[in-house]
Formats: sequence, structure tokens, C-alpha cells
Amino acid sequence: MALQALHGVDYHCKKANGLEDDENVYLGNMSNQCQLYMPPLSKAESQVGEFLVDECGRKIKLNFAHGTTTLGFKFNGGVVMAVDSRATSGQYIGSNNVKKVIEINPYLLGTMAGGAADCTYWERVLAKQCRLYELRNRERISVAAASKLLANMVYQYKGYGLSMGVMIAGWDKKGPGLYYVDNDGNRMPGNSFSVGSGSIYAYGVLDSGYRWDLSDTEAQELGRRAIYHATFRDAYSGGVVRVYHIKKDGWVKISEQDCKALHYKYAEETKTA
Amino acid sequence: MCSEVQSAQDYMRDPRKHYFSPYMDNGGTTVAIAGEDFVMVASDTRLSRGFNILSREQGKVFNLTPKTMLASTGCWADVLTLNKVLQARLMMYSHEHHDTMSTTAVAQLLSTMLYWRRFFPYYVSNMLVGLDESGKGVVYHYDPVGHMEKLTFSAAGASVSLIQPFLDNQVGAFNMEGVDPPKMTKELARQLIHDSFVSAAERDINTGDGIIIYTITKDGTAEEKIKLRMD
Amino acid sequence: MSILAYNGGSVVAMKGKNCVAIATDLRFGVQAQTITTDFERVFEVGPHLYIGLPGLVTDTQTVLQRLKFRIKMYEMREGRKVKPRTLMAMVQNLLYERRFGPYFVEPVIAGLDPVTKDPYICALDLIGCPCEPADFVVSGTSSESLYGMCETTWREDLEPDDLFECIGQSLINAFDRDALSGWGAVVHVIEEDKVTTRHIKSRMD
Repeated sequence: MALQALHGVDYHCKKANGLEDDENVYLGNMSNQCQLYMPPLSKAESQVGEFLVDECGRKIKLNFAHGTTTLGFKFNGGVVMAVDSRATSGQYIGSNNVKKVIEINPYLLGTMAGGAADCTYWERVLAKQCRLYELRNRERISVAAASKLLANMVYQYKGYGLSMGVMIAGWDKKGPGLYYVDNDGNRMPGNSFSVGSGSIYAYGVLDSGYRWDLSDTEAQELGRRAIYHATFRDAYSGGVVRVYHIKKDGWVKISEQDCKALHYKYAEETKTA
Repeated sequence: MCSEVQSAQDYMRDPRKHYFSPYMDNGGTTVAIAGEDFVMVASDTRLSRGFNILSREQGKVFNLTPKTMLASTGCWADVLTLNKVLQARLMMYSHEHHDTMSTTAVAQLLSTMLYWRRFFPYYVSNMLVGLDESGKGVVYHYDPVGHMEKLTFSAAGASVSLIQPFLDNQVGAFNMEGVDPPKMTKELARQLIHDSFVSAAERDINTGDGIIIYTITKDGTAEEKIKLRMD
Repeated sequence: MSILAYNGGSVVAMKGKNCVAIATDLRFGVQAQTITTDFERVFEVGPHLYIGLPGLVTDTQTVLQRLKFRIKMYEMREGRKVKPRTLMAMVQNLLYERRFGPYFVEPVIAGLDPVTKDPYICALDLIGCPCEPADFVVSGTSSESLYGMCETTWREDLEPDDLFECIGQSLINAFDRDALSGWGAVVHVIEEDKVTTRHIKSRMD
């Protein structure tokens, strides 16, 4: 037994065995989505990322969509979420049309800031978990529970270099819900959040225009304006401004407007005013 | 039992400073343009390593199903491995379901496969092209860890920053007031692909030697080879 | 991040038939933050003679002022206006003087020779190595995209209006894929009898 363990015979025999084991080497997350491949390093946790350079020592760009502006706030009429749509790798703009609001189900929305792949993958896994919860319990999952599922999943990989700052918003038994979850495992409820490189600009507009008793259209316009102003000042935000509104009977997509059109519309308004 | 732990510790001890650099940039550029009933995908045929040329006739577009192709550039070892694993998956699927996988399903599969290696990524820029369930051309563009975007035209690889603005302008009609995007025909797509590779080969040492263009339609896949500058 | 990309900004110049064009974006930023959107980094330094100075803005301004000083000294001493190629030599000297502590600008020169009226374009690197091609020159944070755009859109012997269209589309579509350049553009088309300056509206994100 000891000899076998020492020589690792058991391990090698198993590996040569069949498809199931191959599957765990080549695509383990098909059977268990929360399990990801670990690089063959002695201290994976601290060494992940160290070897992400090519033979010339250039850093390999992995994190698409590092720059972003997203925001969400609760008010009298529910939750408004607004996002930009730019994805950059370095200074190169990879895309100006990324969908940064992830529609988890008709009552739950997630936003995306940080690594695009991290956010889309984990929120897709979350969508599956939420559906399973519904089938098992014959009722919709609460926003608190959904956000906690996500926080727990990413907490497993704390320190490995995941990069995500997301908001989970929805409507449940308790009314409107809004949570912030990030890759460190932070999870907190709140009335208004903004995440991403443009968030400093968005917060300025959002906080100055925010009231609990905003009308629906006022709230949507506030979100839109906050994102627009962030796209103007922040080089890594831009594209189109998408606005979503979550009400009692689920979310509604309010608008998708190109920043160029919005800029010249707002410029015209300030000129005439 | 004791020896097991000890051996493991021996094995897990920090190595003396040896660099672990598993990646290499082998260059290469791919371009894809989709139309109503076709999709065209092309790659250059140069495989390079720094200032050296490893091959002048290595295409970078792979057949997956009769309706789907994959264009990958980056670290060639990763390109080959990814392709091998993906082909195996598709084979298993076709045995299980007695049908080939749809383009949209392959697209999601590829994303999941790339994310599996989130902490030791395939260093590959992928574009998956094909015809969707309604026979329309589609292009999916990926980052190395599986973020996926559905598009109608895209460039990827070494010369992406040279070619993409040109496609934005000529295919997407960006920054042209009152001009609608042109109706995409095979002739126009071929011309644009040709022009973009000629320009890229002019300015980027990692792109050149030749182009292979594949056109996928409901009737099958056509191949065309064009020469590029070889310096 | 390269210090050359700290403030963002791009310049491109092209030759046409008896004319040249030079264009710039208007962003002045500090890394991700856009400070102003009316910073022209192309300057008139003589009759039919323009210089673009993309790079670190503090050096853009210093180089411009020292260059203006040298141009004035030249004009007083020689009693004539400076030619494009002379300006190039001047810039080359100015930059190479700081070989081991360079100004972080990569200048682009565009102009017409005052005697022969020949179009002239030139780009220099930050220590003053010149490059005088027959077609176009690019510089700044969007230079890769600009190479791609110009290489496909530029043709020989473009008339002034066509040259404007060519350089405008090249610049705008190039900087729309670059986070650090953009926010409007200015194009100068330099002909024998006139210089036309046009502002182009573009994406402001």
C-alpha cells in the first residue's frame, strides 16, 4: 500500500482507464461547473498568474472588459440598472457592444464588471442554480439567496485571480433587492451601487440626482445620464447605454442608446436650455 | 503512509528559480465576415516565432462540422490541443445523438472549454464561424478564457488592431453619416478579406505568405488560396 | 503603461496630388480620465507648414516652444521662411540633443515646399530618427490601427477633397478602436493657395 502510494501506481492506472477520467482532465467543468482546472504548480494559489507571459516576457492579456461602468439603485418604483457596453484589452477596444446586464431569469438581473469571462461564466452557473432551486422548492429564489450562492462560489477561488464586481438585483417576497458581490467574497445589500473604472463619475451624477421618490421615468433617466457622463470622462467606458428596470412583475428592458447619439442629444439640450 | 507524505513533501518543495514559461506567440491573423446565407472565414498561412518563420503554409482554420469552422491563432501548441479536445467532444456528441452539433451549441461548448482552463489558459484567439439553425451566417469571437460575443464580422490574432477598424468602417459603415451598411455578398466579402490581409501583411511581420479563404454555404465548404507578400 | 500613452492622442499625415493633409484627435487625458476634449496637438509653424506632436503633453508644449524659438531665430538670421525639410532637421537636432533623456513626443511634419510646392510629410521617433515615405505617416496611441486604415484607404494622387475624406475616415475609425484617443478630430488640408481646417464630430466615449 505504502509502496503503491509512493510510486503513484494507483493514480496512473486510473488515469489510463477511460473517458470519465479523461473528461476530468480535459473538461471537468462539464460535470461540475464549480470545478476548474488547476495548473500543475506546487502552490497554485499564489503562483497562478506568474507564468502568464509569452516567451518574450510580454504579459498575456486575458482580462477582457476590465474597464466598465455599471450602476444599480433602489427607489420607490423598484430597481434601475444601467450599464455601458465597452470591452477593452489594454488600450485596444475589443468591443463596443457587450451585454453587461446578464438576464439570470425574468426576476433576476446581474451586471458585469471585471473579467468578462469570469462574470458570464459564474452568472451562467448561478442561473442554473437558481432554476434548480425553483424546481426543488416550488418558489422563486430570493435575491439574498441568489447573491449568496454566487458569493460562495467565487469565494472558493479567492486568491486565484478571478476578477469580478457584480450587482445582483431582483424582486422577491421582500420587494426589491440589490446586492453587491465581488471576487474577494464581499457581499452586501444596499440602496445604490456603481462598479467599474467609470463608477467615480457615475456616482457623482447618481448621488446628486437621487431621491427615494423619483418617478419611473426620472429614475431611468438618472441611470442613463450617470452612465453617459461616465462614458464621456472614462476612456475605458463607452458604446451603448443600456437601462433596465425591475418592478414587481419582473425586469423590463427600457432602452439601448448609442453614446454618440446621446452625447449630441444632451449637447443640444444644454445649448437650448 | 509516512513515506507517502514525505515523498509528497519532497515533490511539492519549492523549486530553485526555474522559470515556467509554457506560452509562445506564433502569430497569425484571421478574419471572418458573415452574410445572409453564407459565412466567409480566412487566415494567413504564416507561422512565426519572434523574428523567425516556422512555416509559410500553415492555415489556421479548422473544420468542425459541415456547417461550422474554427479559426484559432496564438500559441500553436494550445491551438492544436484545443482543437483536438473539441473534435473529440464533437465526436462523442455525434455518436450519442446521431446528429452533428449545431453552431450555437458548439459556440457555448467552446466557451465552457476555454473557461475550464481559467487558471492555466489556452493562449488562443478564437473565432467560431458557421451557419445557425436558420441557415444565416454567424461569427463568434472569444477571448482566451471564454468570453464570447456574437457578431457578423470580426478579425482576430496578431493584426487585429490593423484590420478591425477597417472592417468597422467598410462592413459596419461606422462613422459614415446616412450610409447604410452594405448588403454583404460573397464577392464583396472576398474583396474586403483580401484587402485587409494585404494591408496587414504590409505592416505586421507576424502576418503574411498567403491567405486561405473558406466559404461555408448550405451546399458545403469552398476553399481558395491567395498569395501574399513573403518578406 | 508607456509614458508615451500617458495622455493619449494620435496624429496622421498624408500626401495627395499637390496637397498634404494632417489630422489629429482632440483628447487630452491622464490615463483613463479625459480632462479636455479641445486639445489640438497639431500646430502651424510656418506658411503651409504644420507639426503634430503626439505623446506626453508636457513635452508636446516644451518641444513646441523651443521649436518656435529656433524657427524665429532661423528666420531672423536667414531672412526667409523655414522649409519643411529644414524643419525636420531642426526637430531632429532638438530631439537628439536629449538622446539619453528624451522628450516623449513622436512628431509628424506636413507641409508644402515654399519653392517647389512639393508635398512633404515626415515622422520622427522620440530621439529624432526621421522617416519620409511617399504615402502617409502615423504616430500616437492609435498608430497600429492607423496603419491598417491608411494602408487600405490611401491612394496615389488624391485630390484635396478626397484626401480629406481619406484621412478623416482613417483617423476616426482608427481611434474608435483605441481607448486613449478620440473625442473629436481636426483636419488641415494644405494646398498651394489655401489651407482648409475642418473639425469633425465623432464618438465622444
